[in-house]
Amino acid sequence: MKWGMVIDLKRCIGCYGCQLACKAEHGTPPGVYYARVLKSEEGQYPNVRNLFLPVLCNHCEDPPCVEACPTGASFKWEEDGIVDIDHDLCVGCRACMMACPYTNRYFNDQPSHYHPQGATPYEAARTEPHQQNVVMKCDFCRDRVRAGKPPACVANCPTVARIFGDLDDPTSEVSRLIKERSGFTLHPELGTGPSVYYLPA
Amino acid sequence: MTEISAKYEQLIQDLRRDFRPQREWGEGRGLFLVIGHFLVGVAAGAWLFGLIFNYTPGLIAGFILAGGGGIAHLAFLGRPERFWKMVRHVRTAWISRGFVGLTLFLVGAALYLPPLVVTGWPWAADSVPGYLGWGMAACGMVVLIVYMGFVYEASKGIPFWNSPLHPVLYMAYALRGGIAALLVTMALFDAPGAGATRLVTIWIAITAVVIILFALEIQGALTGGNPAARQSVREMLAGRMAVYFYVGTLLIGLVVPLVLLSGHIAPLSVGVLAAIGLFSALGDFFMKYTTIRAGIYLPLRPRQARHR
Repeated sequence: MKWGMVIDLKRCIGCYGCQLACKAEHGTPPGVYYARVLKSEEGQYPNVRNLFLPVLCNHCEDPPCVEACPTGASFKWEEDGIVDIDHDLCVGCRACMMACPYTNRYFNDQPSHYHPQGATPYEAARTEPHQQNVVMKCDFCRDRVRAGKPPACVANCPTVARIFGDLDDPTSEVSRLIKERSGFTLHPELGTGPSVYYLPA
Repeated sequence: MTEISAKYEQLIQDLRRDFRPQREWGEGRGLFLVIGHFLVGVAAGAWLFGLIFNYTPGLIAGFILAGGGGIAHLAFLGRPERFWKMVRHVRTAWISRGFVGLTLFLVGAALYLPPLVVTGWPWAADSVPGYLGWGMAACGMVVLIVYMGFVYEASKGIPFWNSPLHPVLYMAYALRGGIAALLVTMALFDAPGAGATRLVTIWIAITAVVIILFALEIQGALTGGNPAARQSVREMLAGRMAVYFYVGTLLIGLVVPLVLLSGHIAPLSVGVLAAIGLFSALGDFFMKYTTIRAGIYLPLRPRQARHR
């Protein structure tokens, strides 16, 4: 089994719902984004269009971050292909951040609250489990997936632009969409084998 | 604005850019990594030339610099108390290999050096512990000279560093730094002999190699077709790192030593040779600093569009 995600760029409306759902699910501190949406525009008036590119960890087949990690803190689960971090092993050298061509790793050296007056009780409870001075990243909501639920960003996408499934199963929806709609990955030339595919806008 | 919120605002600004600069290595605590890499490189070079020229103060300088480099590395880590875990991934990670190399070097040097310096030490330099120390330090030295460039070369996220020339350039820097350290120690501890003249000759040769390698790397980045690598070169030659590059690397690290070497300012003496070594080492530090700070992440967008 190899978990993967397909993001339909034609359906994405740039609402940031995935980013917020992820923040709510994981209680990530300021400066740490497991899921982001890049916004840009192309063309010239009056022929202009918005481009949205939701990005997250690509859970690569051959992850450069795992290779670069000196402690083995960055690792890949053999049973489902999810790339994860064991925060108890991370020394905070940030080599994985330099190795990741998708720039989806963040160093958590900020105090874990959003408000100048300090953390709210809710924030404190949500962010308390996160270690400081270690690298953090998306884990495809592994706990949710193991419980039979889709990742938070997938469950909360209002336009169903995100589809999650088994890339190894040729009959799964993700495999079908990739095949039928010419799904592409970011920077395929690097040979990392991302598990996040995009359908053209 | 507090330092933390300023850093947060900076990250938000960076995430909006097409060409996002890396700030983790080289800024804030990241400066310790640059210092660490610089010191460790110079230490390994100093040890090598200390052995070649049979010059014990050079070996001592190498040992002290390597210790300083190790401390700087620890100061950089987010979780320094876990440093020993870096031995776990030697099979794939260059940082692990560097950690093993530094450990071998420090332990080996601690075995080999004392009998050379302290009379009546329990073992001699030509005894089993002495030979063991020599061997360990030599292995560690080779690893330290080689590994740093590969740490950067393995960074797929930063195309400017991801060049096959980077490891060779870092090896050349380690050798140049080693000669610089020896020139300074020769001036500090005793008058330079014939060895100093040979060292200067080697310094000129390695400097020429460094210039050629650096020019090739810049040319490769500009013509290699990667926009992030091109942007890194722009940052270094005409952007936010230009002052460090022109003043630190070119003026301090190259022009001043060459002018001193020409003898136009003062005749070659112990002090002038030490100054050449010092300026050369400073230039190497700025070279590493500018190269690291000029690192730009690979853009994520499949095509470049105007940013909102």
